[in-house]
Amino acid sequence: MRTVGFLVNPVAGMGGAVGLAGTDGKVSEALRRGAVPRARERAVRTLSLLLDDSIEWYTCSGAMGEDALLDAGFDCYTVLYPSSAPTSAADTTTACRAFLDARVDLIVFCGGDGTARDVFDIVGREVPVLGIPAGVKMYSAVFAVNPVAAADLIRRAGGISCRDSEVMDIDEEAYRSGHLSARLYGYASVPYIPERIQGGKQVFEQQDEERAKDDIAAFMSEVMLPETLYIVGAGSTTARIMERLGLTPTLLGVDAVRNGEVLAWNTDERALLALLDEYPRAKVIVSPIGAQGFVLGRGNQQISPAVLRKAGLPNLIVVATPGKLAGTPILYIDSGDPVLDREIGDSLLVISGYRVAQRRCVVHPD
Amino acid sequence: MQTKILLDEGEMPKRWYNIQADLPTPMDPPLHPATGKPVVPDDLRHIFPMELIRQEMTTERYIDIPAEVRDILTLWRPSPLYRAKRLEAALKTPAKIYFKWEGVSAPGSHKPNTAIPQAYYNREEGIERLATETGAGQWGSSLAFATSLFDMECTVYMVRSSYEQKPYRKSMMQVYGAECIPSPSPKTRSGQAVLARDPDTPGSLGIAISEAVEDAASHDNTNYALGSVLNHVCLHQTIIGQEAREQLAAVEAYPDVIIGCVGGGSNFAGLTFPFAGDKITGKHPETDIIAVEPAACPTLTKGLYAYDFGDVAGLTPLMRMFTLGHDFIPPAIHAGGLRYHGASPLVSRLAHDGIVRSAAYRQNEVFDAAVMFARTEGIIVAPEAAHAVKATIDEALRCRETGEAKTILFNNSGHGNFDFSSYEAYFAGSLVDYEYPMELIKESLARLPVTE
Repeated sequence: MRTVGFLVNPVAGMGGAVGLAGTDGKVSEALRRGAVPRARERAVRTLSLLLDDSIEWYTCSGAMGEDALLDAGFDCYTVLYPSSAPTSAADTTTACRAFLDARVDLIVFCGGDGTARDVFDIVGREVPVLGIPAGVKMYSAVFAVNPVAAADLIRRAGGISCRDSEVMDIDEEAYRSGHLSARLYGYASVPYIPERIQGGKQVFEQQDEERAKDDIAAFMSEVMLPETLYIVGAGSTTARIMERLGLTPTLLGVDAVRNGEVLAWNTDERALLALLDEYPRAKVIVSPIGAQGFVLGRGNQQISPAVLRKAGLPNLIVVATPGKLAGTPILYIDSGDPVLDREIGDSLLVISGYRVAQRRCVVHPD
Repeated sequence: MQTKILLDEGEMPKRWYNIQADLPTPMDPPLHPATGKPVVPDDLRHIFPMELIRQEMTTERYIDIPAEVRDILTLWRPSPLYRAKRLEAALKTPAKIYFKWEGVSAPGSHKPNTAIPQAYYNREEGIERLATETGAGQWGSSLAFATSLFDMECTVYMVRSSYEQKPYRKSMMQVYGAECIPSPSPKTRSGQAVLARDPDTPGSLGIAISEAVEDAASHDNTNYALGSVLNHVCLHQTIIGQEAREQLAAVEAYPDVIIGCVGGGSNFAGLTFPFAGDKITGKHPETDIIAVEPAACPTLTKGLYAYDFGDVAGLTPLMRMFTLGHDFIPPAIHAGGLRYHGASPLVSRLAHDGIVRSAAYRQNEVFDAAVMFARTEGIIVAPEAAHAVKATIDEALRCRETGEAKTILFNNSGHGNFDFSSYEAYFAGSLVDYEYPMELIKESLARLPVTE
């Protein structure tokens, strides 16, 4: 029987409805403003669909899991961790350690970006994780699109493959004051069902994520030009391009490459601008954040509007695997410069395989 | 105003038209893959009958259609020419839209026009079995139909993705007595090589061609048959354009614009070559002839005009044609018959010489057009033919803007009765708009694996 570690961040999502951009450190303020916990209700919707499945549940006491299991109608589960009240990030991390000690096959959490980050801190890529979306912000790609989809993934996890999914680190203080600072925090391993991209039995596109990345890297390495500066954004797809060139990438940062050599690893905006002064002939390779679909403005802030202007917008190359694109219905551009965002237009060509691209719609937040 | 313009069986053309006779300079010869020298008839004898090799190379203007072949063609020919009055009305266009309807053949497309003569010439020269490939299944079921009429065996290597997607095409081949094998298969060395590299490959037309050629070359009683690309295939299809020209003449019309979709190029060649001949010889120099392709595989629109192999394994002669590179496996579009890296050398030559021009469309807009056509004219077209419908609609809308009452003729090459999973995907919003990333490739053309 498969074992699943299950936890709820009971306060996740409370800040959103009452105008707090996230609930980190703001639980009492959210409660004072009349916020109602909603994570439990979201978790129950998922759990109630799994009553007939043969899953051994490990969880935390009370609001951190047990209550939701009871509400959903479960009477058989194991409480591994007695949570405190009110709960904190430390409860999430301690519970995750207990799940790992119990050698669970999958960890399911109900929460938002903050919860995802806490889970990832402990679990890393050791076991697959899956988020039931309940937070205010969900920029990370570890979440199922809704509680029903989460149930389907939990049911089938083990029999299906996992893919790298971005965990984002959002600075909530900055976010509250109107600035989104989203850094790519890491890659969790998340079960996914390959989309039948073309419907029916037609499954000819590369469904294997790793091979799709290889195809993209093979194509990109074929079209990369000499005497040209390549600014390679964060992410595992762009990293594969670097590896194909025999270079060591910075998975979570931006690297600069020219003539097969790395000029700068994990570089920042200022260094990129200086490189562009030296080597004006340049191209920028980025990959959107899975599920959320941000091409610019999240996770790649080093590639600022100034950097893009200097490199030239036609030199922006977007790459993504078919699997990621299938789970990312809309691409967003939010570079911080609305004029530049508009110049990109309503659609982007995304390299999705060897000499294959997809034309995708783009939405600008303004 | 007549909706259907019909010819009597006795009015069916008795000769095929060979456009090679009207080219200002000869075609560049196909080259032997091993020696790089021009191919001679003996090089092809182990896979083709001599008469087809002769037809491939001849510059005679007309070639007689054997009586036995004509007799079989009357099962569905002459095919009707339709005036698409309801589509015109829906588009509010002054243009007059005509289409040649090739979906009336038993297998449902233009493909039997060449399957029948190919099977005939092979049987005449003592061949007992034909091996071939099929992409979307139209060609495979057509050759299965043809070989059944001549009491021959038939082995069809069907691109695996189509084999799984269109089980009824496979059943159709079984009804006609053919063996249908998903490609790549472990039966051939080329198939084994691909499977060893990539056991989950969806396959491609280029791989399936390698398998069928190998099968034919390694069995004495077996020849190879190709459903498109080659000169003799285009030749056999010219019966379409010759009929259409007669049918239009019956209503005192001649097309200003002629449109066909291009995968390998045979249905396009079939409709347009007689008119292209009129254009080259100055009888109708202004005719606008448009080859329509998928944006995912825009061979004529974005390819190189160069010598390249016709298949993935590099077993075929090198042909001068527009190509995206023989190692390019086009993405998963629903118009499986248009997923080919190259294009007929004859069609390529006409495109290179400016006799025909090309246009490329993405999947969703093509299906938009197909649905509009179905809801006005009733016929549910194959995704391949839908490309021609899309270009026709665009031309007709252009006429609405300019007020020109142009006569537009397109080839409706086949029905979509086996393609409902594609329509289903369209309605579910899950069709991906693939494109060929030409801008990136253009900058690094020197590295394209194309033999020039």
